[in-house]
Amino acid sequence: MTVFQRVRGILIGLCMLVFAALLITDPGEEAYMFIIAVLSLGFAAAGIKNIIFYFTMARHMVGGKMILIQGVIILDFALFTGSLADVPRIYILLYLIGIHAFSGAVEILRAMEAKRTVEGPWKLKLSHGVINFALALACLVFIRHSNTALLIYSVGLIYSAVIRILSSFRRTTFVMIQ
Amino acid sequence: MQADFHYYATYCAAFLAGYSHEESLDIAYSAQFVDLCSRTLLAKIKGPSAAATTQLQLELMDARTDPVGLQDITRIWSAFHFLPKDLHAVKEKCIRRYLDKYRLICGPNGDLVVKTVELAKGKPLQSVGIAMHVLADTWAHANFAGTPSLVINNTNYVFYELLPEGDGFIEKPIKFRHKTSEPDDLENSIYTNSLYQSSENSIMNLGHGRAGHLPDYSFVRYKYLPAWNEYKELVKDNPHDYWNAFAQMIRAMRYIRGDYPTFEKDTYDTETVAPWEERIRGIIKKRQILASDDWKAFGEELSGQTIKDHVIDEYFDEYTKCAKEERDDTFLGRFIRGAIAHKGMVIEAIYESGNKIAGIAK
Repeated sequence: MTVFQRVRGILIGLCMLVFAALLITDPGEEAYMFIIAVLSLGFAAAGIKNIIFYFTMARHMVGGKMILIQGVIILDFALFTGSLADVPRIYILLYLIGIHAFSGAVEILRAMEAKRTVEGPWKLKLSHGVINFALALACLVFIRHSNTALLIYSVGLIYSAVIRILSSFRRTTFVMIQ
Repeated sequence: MQADFHYYATYCAAFLAGYSHEESLDIAYSAQFVDLCSRTLLAKIKGPSAAATTQLQLELMDARTDPVGLQDITRIWSAFHFLPKDLHAVKEKCIRRYLDKYRLICGPNGDLVVKTVELAKGKPLQSVGIAMHVLADTWAHANFAGTPSLVINNTNYVFYELLPEGDGFIEKPIKFRHKTSEPDDLENSIYTNSLYQSSENSIMNLGHGRAGHLPDYSFVRYKYLPAWNEYKELVKDNPHDYWNAFAQMIRAMRYIRGDYPTFEKDTYDTETVAPWEERIRGIIKKRQILASDDWKAFGEELSGQTIKDHVIDEYFDEYTKCAKEERDDTFLGRFIRGAIAHKGMVIEAIYESGNKIAGIAK
C-alpha cells in the first residue's frame, strides 16, 4: 500500500464517520444532500483519475482498457449519484443501502479469493463483507421505519469506517524481486 | 538470480577466467553481497547509506513512492538488479512519463553493461564482483524495470511454462499465488508472485515481482505477455540466457584481467567453457529451486579447493574494528567504494539521457 493509498483510506474512513454522525444527529434534507454531493464528487474524481491514467500511461499496457472501462463506469456512477439530488429521501436511502450491500458482496468475494491465494488477514475481510451485507439487508427489512433503517445504516457506516482506517495502518504483506 | 549463480557460479566463472581460488572467492563473495547490502546492514556496520545495493522487504514496505522516494528505489534497483538496456529506446505516441519508465527496461548487451565492466577494470576484486552481479542480472531480469510501474512490470493470466517433450515443448499453464510461506511447487507449476495493485507506483509493481521467482530459476522456460510489449507474447528461455550469462562473465573478467583489449557487447567466452559445456548445461537445466550444491561441487572440482559457504558477516569485524581512516582499505570498504562508483555511473547515465526518474548523482 502506498502512502497515498493509506492517507486516502484514512480520509475516506473519517468522511464516513462524519456522514454517520450527521445521519444520526440531524437526518434532515441537508444531510442527505451533503452525502450525495460528497459521494458524487468522490466517484467523479476516481473516474476522471482512471481515464487520465489510461490516456497518459495505461493505453500502452496489456489489459489497459480495463482501466478506461472502470473509469467510465465510475464516472457514470458519479453523474447518476449527482442526479439523485431531486428525488425523495427514501430512494436516496435505498441507493446508499444498495452501495453498502454491493461493497459487502465484493468484500466477501475478495476474502474468498484471498483465502485461496493470499497470505494475510482474510478473516477480517470476510467478516467485514458479511456484516456490511447483513446490515444492508436489515436496512431493507426496516425500510418502512425510516429512522430505524437510517440508524442501522449509520452503524454500518461507522463499522466500515473503523475497518477502513485500521486497514490503512496495516503493513503491506510482502514483495519479492531479488 | 539467487546465491547459486551469484556466489557459486560466479566463483566458477572467475576461476575459469584465470583468477586464483582466493581471488575467485572474493569476487563471488562481493557478487552475492550485492543482494545483501541494505541500509539496515550498512547502519549496523556504520557504513554510508549511499552504498546500499538492495532494499530489504521491511525497508520496501515503508518505502515512500512519491517522486523522491521513487528516485531512491530506482537508483538501487536499476543500478544493481535491473540495468537498463537502452536509455534512448523509442516508442511511438507516448508521453515522457511513460517513456522514462519504458527506457528503464532491463536487458543484456546494452551500453551500460559495457560501461559497468569497463568501470571495474583496474579496480579491486570487490568491484569485479559487483560488475558480475549486475551483468548476470541483465540476463535473468530481462524485460522488467527496476522502478515500480504497473504499465511496465505487470503480468496477467497469460503465463505458460514450456516443458521439453520430444523435439519440442508442451505448454503448461502457470498458477500464481501470493503465499511466501509455501515454497514454489515445481511439479505442478504453482509459483508465488506479488499481488496485483492497480496503483502505478505500488511497490508490488517493482521489478519482476509480478512474475514471481521465475526469472531466478535457471531451468525454466516460460511464455507470457509483458505489459509493455503491445500484446506480443515473449518467450523467456532461462537455460539459454543463464548459459550466455556464464560465458559472458568469463569474457568480461578476462577483459578485466587484461586478456582482451576491449569488452564488447554480445561476446562470450565459449572456448574456455567448452570442455565443461555438458556439465554446466546439466546444472542449469536441472529442475530445482536452488542449484548451489551442484555449482559448488563443480567449482570444487575445477579448483581442487573447498569453497566455503557465503557468511554475511565474514568481514564485519574487519570493517567495524579498524580506524575510520583505514576503512576504505578493508574488504567491505572496497565493496562500498565500488558500489558507490557503480551507482553514480548508472544514475549519471540515466540523467544524461534526459530521464529524471533516478535523480542526479551526488
